[in-house]
Amino acid sequence: MTMVFSSSAFCKRETVIKIGINAPLTGDIPKVGEGTKYAAQMWLSDIEKAGGLEVGGQKYKVELVIEDNESKAESAVKANTKMISQDDVLAIVGPQSSKQAVPAGEVANKYKTVMISPWSTNPDTTMDRPFVFRGCFLDPFQGPVVANFITDEFGFTKAAVLYDVASDYPKGLAEVFKDAWENKHGAGSIVAFESFTTKDTDFSSQLTKIIQSGAQVLFTPQYYNEVPLIVKQAQELGWKGPVVGSDSWGSAETVELCGEACYGQFFSSHYAAAGAKGATKDFIDRYNEKYGYIPDDVAALTWDALRLAQQAIQDAGKLTGRIDKDRQAVRDALAKITNFAGITGNMTFTEEGDPVKCAVIVKINDKGEYEFYKSVCP
Amino acid sequence: MKIVQSIKKFLSNIPMAGWLLGMLVAVLIEYFWGYDYISYYLGLPKIPVLFGAIIMLKDPTMIPGALAYDLVVYVLPVCIVGKASAFFTNPLAAAMEKLPLWISVLIHLCCFYGILSLWAGINDYRVLVVKLTLISIILTISINVINGYQGEFSCSHPGFMAVGAYVSSVITLFLFANDKIFGAAVLPPSLGPWLFPFALIMGGIAASVASLLVAIPSFRTRGDYLAIISLAFMFIVKSAVENINVIGGARGMGGQPDLAPLYVIFIWTMLCIWVIHNFVTSIMGKALNAVRDDEAASESMTVKTRKTKMTAFMFGAFWAGIAGGLFAHVLTYINPGMFSINRLAEILAMVYFGGLNSIVGSIVGAVSINILGEALRPLELFKWIIIPLILIFVMIFRPYGLISFREINAGKLLAARKNK
Repeated sequence: MTMVFSSSAFCKRETVIKIGINAPLTGDIPKVGEGTKYAAQMWLSDIEKAGGLEVGGQKYKVELVIEDNESKAESAVKANTKMISQDDVLAIVGPQSSKQAVPAGEVANKYKTVMISPWSTNPDTTMDRPFVFRGCFLDPFQGPVVANFITDEFGFTKAAVLYDVASDYPKGLAEVFKDAWENKHGAGSIVAFESFTTKDTDFSSQLTKIIQSGAQVLFTPQYYNEVPLIVKQAQELGWKGPVVGSDSWGSAETVELCGEACYGQFFSSHYAAAGAKGATKDFIDRYNEKYGYIPDDVAALTWDALRLAQQAIQDAGKLTGRIDKDRQAVRDALAKITNFAGITGNMTFTEEGDPVKCAVIVKINDKGEYEFYKSVCP
Repeated sequence: MKIVQSIKKFLSNIPMAGWLLGMLVAVLIEYFWGYDYISYYLGLPKIPVLFGAIIMLKDPTMIPGALAYDLVVYVLPVCIVGKASAFFTNPLAAAMEKLPLWISVLIHLCCFYGILSLWAGINDYRVLVVKLTLISIILTISINVINGYQGEFSCSHPGFMAVGAYVSSVITLFLFANDKIFGAAVLPPSLGPWLFPFALIMGGIAASVASLLVAIPSFRTRGDYLAIISLAFMFIVKSAVENINVIGGARGMGGQPDLAPLYVIFIWTMLCIWVIHNFVTSIMGKALNAVRDDEAASESMTVKTRKTKMTAFMFGAFWAGIAGGLFAHVLTYINPGMFSINRLAEILAMVYFGGLNSIVGSIVGAVSINILGEALRPLELFKWIIIPLILIFVMIFRPYGLISFREINAGKLLAARKNK
């Protein structure tokens, strides 16, 4: 049952542009939610300084609707439903993790509302969903990037993988990496393919196996709450080789918790904070000044996603005040954006709503900063 | 306190039919004038979605507006209409008393559903919250059979839910959806709603068969051992699903057809309440209570304790499976992480908060924990402090939950009220 509201003459409500933010403010990865929220608030303060968002020659007030998805799938679905049906948001930015972005994307697509997930790398998030976009590259691209980088950089032929079998992203990426590596070095070149389960804190049995397997490099696509444990335990057990990671390492907390054990390690990511230039540097400096730490890739991608939404709203030409029409217009404008200059690289969307963009290999330097090492483009 | 008592006295002669009529009027007021007039003149951006709780916490300046809205739209119409219509709703209730009880209950339920769907229909977020709350009611009542009536401490409910969710999802995906795993749909999607109960029941049966894995080894023991074994069972199910790549593994399984509209869930919930109510008031239910209070004594009084425990356990698991199936088709996506320790904490909180050994208690527990969880959403981290605090206070002052060891008397509930 749907309601059709009569827009009678004396019921004139002001048109406000609302952007929904669906972020994990509580739950397993609160730091990710925090970065999302801060980037969004920074974006909003810029808009407010400009006196609103100009669309078709008219300035509109902008509001953020920030909802907590508690790192839970059903909560992300509830948050999206609430923002779309109750708050009448024009576009949604988030959720960040694939396990929330996949079901939430279903809701956004059902109600024909643009949703941009800044950080979700699972192909299913945008698959067959015209209204769902993302701000980052996909796992099937990232896996080969890491495999090629290790081969070119170190000339290794034997790799080990340690991943969380119970979490969507690590598991997917571990498998993609394994395929890419074996394509390069033949079957059996992954000498250990070890798994653990979310919330495990002791990896000694897996690491012992990995060390005994004769692997030269360890690839572990884990989050900031596990990486420090894995790296430290590996070194305590006598692991001498490099530990290579993926974009989930990019959180500000990884080095905080890991300390010197992680210095000198590499991971693939969306952008590198240390030594950045231009607009990226501006963003990093402003964020650092305001919140007291270097923004991680989540914050940078969220910033880009919001600027994409802003660009699409402005490209839509005019707002009619009828939310369903406006959402459709925003979606169409967003799909047409080409060569968008984001702080995490230039973006052009494919049919599926995935950006074609470069990955960055980041080195953790001796000061614990994330330093640009090289960039890999599709 | 005097005021409360006089209000109570003033409203005491309104029968259930009168309350329902009042609610209907309130919902119609909201439907026709809520957006254009009432919420507009009270300075609210839109109709408050959960009685204004969310908007009040988000923006404290809205508190007077939201409270006024609640008063004007809900409280006053319900009370005024209820009181004013008592002169004809009482005779009506008296006339319905002459009918068989089930007919009268059915009439009331149909009216209630109509009001609920009108209220929820104003906003899809409300629909979703109501759906998930109804599913929680099924879960809570079904765990009450095991943890309340049987007096065990079972932790395997999320596992049963997962079994039900996955089995029914596999069936519906195989039959009615074009997806990556099973390819094209076998049957036309229009058959979906008719065959959905079959898929749900299969999920329920699968869950009750799985419950034997816990029941057979653990019923030789008592107390803590069952808790540990059932907890292990929950993790076994989760890890098993994570490692079966055919059904998506940790990635989860999506694309279920949307076969669970509000009326389907409402019917299943009412069916669950009715069946479980009959179960626990039957001889079997009494035997369960006997086993809970003293197993050795009931054994000597010819109660087949082992059979009784098994039956109740499987029965509870069956309904958990049904709830899982409904849950999967509401979200149209499931992953093993949903059926883990968080879910268990939620289910246990609902049952112990609401009250053991009581169906009303379970309904109260499920509804209040669900609505609290949604209403306090804007508080983010503090939500996780407030809800546990409430739980702790309930446990201190009412160790068995808010409403425990009490059953609904439908006849009395729906009866006509005399003027005292």
